[in-house]
Amino acid sequence: MTQDRARFDRFLPLKPFVLDVLLELADGKKHGWALIRDLQQRDGGDRILPTNFYRTLRALRDDGLIEEAKGDANEDGAERRQYFSLSTLGAKVARAEVKRLEALVVDPRARKLLKAR
Amino acid sequence: MNTSRSLYRLLLRLCPADLRSQYGDEMEMLFLQSLSGARGPGKARVWTRAVSDVVRHGIGARRDSWRKFRKTSAYVEYRTGGWWMDTLRYDLRHAIRAMGRQPVTSLIVVLTLALAIGANTAVFSAVHSVLIRPLPYPEPASLVMLWEKREAEGVMKNSVSPADYLDWARTATSFTGMAAMTEVTADLTGEGDPEKVSVAGVSAPYFEVFGTRPLHGRTFEPGDYTIGNRGVILGHAFWRQRFGGDPGVVNRSVMLNGGPIKVVGVLPANAAFPNTDAQLFVPLVIQANPDPPSRTSHQFSVYARLKPDVTLAQARAEMDRIGKDLEAQYPQLSRGHGAHVTSLPEEITGPVERTLVVLMAAVAFILLIACINVTNLLLAKAAGRRREMAVRAAIGAARARLMRQLLVECAVMALAGGVAGLMLAVWSVRVLAAQLPAVARPDQAVIFSLPVLAFTLVACLITCLLAGALPAWHLVREDAAEPLKEGGRSPVSLKRTLRFGLIVVEVALTSMLLVGAGLTLRSFQAVLAQPAGIETNNRLTFRVSLPGARYRDGAAAARFFNDLESRLRAEPMIQSAGGTMLPPLTGFDGRRGVVIENREVGPDDGPTRAHPRVITSNYLQAIGSRVREGRGFNPADTETSPTVAIVNETMAARYWPGVSPIGKRVRFTDQEIWREVVGVIGDVKHWGLDEPVNPELYVPATQFPVWALTWVLFTNGDPLTLVPIAQRHLREIDANLPLFQVRTMEEVAAQSVERRRWMMTLLAVFAVLALVMAAAGIYGVMAHLVSMRTPEIGVRLALGARPASVMRQILGEGAMQAGIGLVIGLGGSLALMRGMRTILFGIEPTDPITLASVGVSLMIVALLAVAIPAVRAMRVDPIAALRQ
Repeated sequence: MTQDRARFDRFLPLKPFVLDVLLELADGKKHGWALIRDLQQRDGGDRILPTNFYRTLRALRDDGLIEEAKGDANEDGAERRQYFSLSTLGAKVARAEVKRLEALVVDPRARKLLKAR
Repeated sequence: MNTSRSLYRLLLRLCPADLRSQYGDEMEMLFLQSLSGARGPGKARVWTRAVSDVVRHGIGARRDSWRKFRKTSAYVEYRTGGWWMDTLRYDLRHAIRAMGRQPVTSLIVVLTLALAIGANTAVFSAVHSVLIRPLPYPEPASLVMLWEKREAEGVMKNSVSPADYLDWARTATSFTGMAAMTEVTADLTGEGDPEKVSVAGVSAPYFEVFGTRPLHGRTFEPGDYTIGNRGVILGHAFWRQRFGGDPGVVNRSVMLNGGPIKVVGVLPANAAFPNTDAQLFVPLVIQANPDPPSRTSHQFSVYARLKPDVTLAQARAEMDRIGKDLEAQYPQLSRGHGAHVTSLPEEITGPVERTLVVLMAAVAFILLIACINVTNLLLAKAAGRRREMAVRAAIGAARARLMRQLLVECAVMALAGGVAGLMLAVWSVRVLAAQLPAVARPDQAVIFSLPVLAFTLVACLITCLLAGALPAWHLVREDAAEPLKEGGRSPVSLKRTLRFGLIVVEVALTSMLLVGAGLTLRSFQAVLAQPAGIETNNRLTFRVSLPGARYRDGAAAARFFNDLESRLRAEPMIQSAGGTMLPPLTGFDGRRGVVIENREVGPDDGPTRAHPRVITSNYLQAIGSRVREGRGFNPADTETSPTVAIVNETMAARYWPGVSPIGKRVRFTDQEIWREVVGVIGDVKHWGLDEPVNPELYVPATQFPVWALTWVLFTNGDPLTLVPIAQRHLREIDANLPLFQVRTMEEVAAQSVERRRWMMTLLAVFAVLALVMAAAGIYGVMAHLVSMRTPEIGVRLALGARPASVMRQILGEGAMQAGIGLVIGLGGSLALMRGMRTILFGIEPTDPITLASVGVSLMIVALLAVAIPAVRAMRVDPIAALRQ
């Protein structure tokens, strides 16, 4: 367990954008195009930069946080789309990050800050 | 929209290839989507964001890949260079094996490249020696030459008179030193055989100006510059040859012109001086000879070194001022005379600079032509290697690796060609060097100097890239699976237009080279067609010079020459014999002021001057010159008879326009004696066939004392058989006099055009080389084409096409390529050859005869090269072709 923890601890903290991507994939596998659409809907704007996005995907894949997956059987075969899904490691990392953020929020000082506002 | 798409795609090149190939399309779609959603300035914002995104994250992604790579074990090998060297060694081994598999092709490629690279190396070694490498003196840029100038007459570079030199050296402040040099020949007697040696008389700071230090002994000191106390300095080669390199020769005496003279020093091997090949150096003592120093006898070359803070322009300004002062001081003798300063490096390199540039361009063309041929050859061979490449690509070789392997193969051949080329250059550099200035002459050692070796290496690499890149790219670019397919015989691996384009370029380059060579050839013919004013056949020339120590007065010298002439004329083998101060076609001499009796000199007239020509009574017959009017000299013209002169046609026309000069009187400005003109002779070219003729005043040797004459003997047979006869007579009169500069008149004439002949020969060799390569190139492409089209031709023949029409088609295609290339080449020549104008003679760079003959001959060669494959196409057996 500790060894496992060390394995994903090195990814933390995640960049917000990376966490966004992992959370989107937590719903199930998606191809790049759908990911972008959903991400943009979440944030309400077209701030997704194509190169940044695919660079991030590539890095996540290379790090083993996400995996390439096969498309649905009923999809049009001509559309050669690359699907992605969250890997076990990716899920653990995302969970750890969320926990970390949660711990931050419950921190007394953080609460004080919230109250002050 | 399409432009945006292309631009964005271009931008995406910043990303690593794997990212681009996997997600490039989606990235592009995303971008286009946001672009289509934007209007007006919004579009600009989208673009700005896209650029910053791709630049930042594209490069970031490359960094990601790099970081990942660094964690692998391959990185360790990479960092130590092991990976690169291992595969390079493999590529090299493979390349050598590949060469061995196709020995004929490889040999042709290596030989072609050896010729081209060798020619380039040899010419570059000359360019490097003459134009790039500094002269072998400390700070050569501050060395200058000084000349007398007469701007009104268009003469900027006249030799300098002793008096002018002394005045300049005394008053000028721009120079650390100014030295005069004049070259004479002298008899060396004493130990060993008597020998004629060339001696440079040099004034005080000569060796200091050039920064030359002696190898043994010393250079001259002020005490050496007095008559009777002179020492001599030996040139290195002469010291080795005559004294066996014995350092003990210093302080010994040698006999020069019959008098003892002490050796004070020996020069080092690398000492060389402009405008002289002197073997000995003696102090030039001016004050006493003649007394006072002459202002009209121009005989000195003057060299000086600028002070460190003085520019050439400042030195010119000062010398102009000094010239004006002298003009005011000596209005009679120096009217219109000034002083001109030129840079010595330019003086030395100037005359050959244009020639070398032309030669360099010619060999660069050759290299290009060779590259094209090799490209074509490799393209043809590439067809046979498609399978090999496909297999290697299929089992995982990256394109870059395959490409590198092919380029390494080409580089190995280029380097082999380069090494062979170096050998060729070593062998040929001597030929090339013959006509270059001695001070900067390239030798075999230059070939192995760093800049020349670097040049050769760069030439090899450029060759490798030029000749190898196209075929390699062509092979690698192909879809890996294609040649592996069943019956993969589709031979259309070569774009025909590409190879046709190469041939067109090759023909164009060749035609330009041919035009250059043709123009020099026609110039050379034009020069040879110039009348020299003399006959050259069956004539022997040699020079006899009398030592002033034993022949003190002119009368003694005149008696000697008279005696010699009458003895030679009495010889039955000799038809006529005569002597002259300056033989035709040999060089340069100064003019002297003359006074024409009763001639009104207008304010616009330049000074009245003529070249003095001192000849013996029989000389004009001996050279076959024609007397146009009046008479030649004869033995009755003696020192006591009335003084007479003969003028050339140019002088007659210039100073007695419209009237006969016979009976008119003329004198040299610095002499009191009037001479009556008794004859007019045809112009004789004294400076060279391509040089104009100036007024010349001939006077008999009996009436104008001289101590050295060049003799011309005319015989019926082989002129060289006269040498022992002449030697015998000379010995009978004076046993201590050698005969020197023994040459036939034909040799003299040939030497006068030597540089032009040299240039013409080199360009002709290059042009022939180019022509052969072009013919081989055309033949290769057409033969390959025919062999690839054999099935098609077979079908056509089987369907009833006539063999003649098949042949006509092939011929037509070849003629088309050659024709297009020719038109481009001749057009290019019109533009390029203007640069050759200064080295042409008698013809224009656009000479239609040259252009036409180049066109015709190149076309004939091209058609001959095409004819063989065309005939082969005609003879294709339809049955065999279809079965193939």
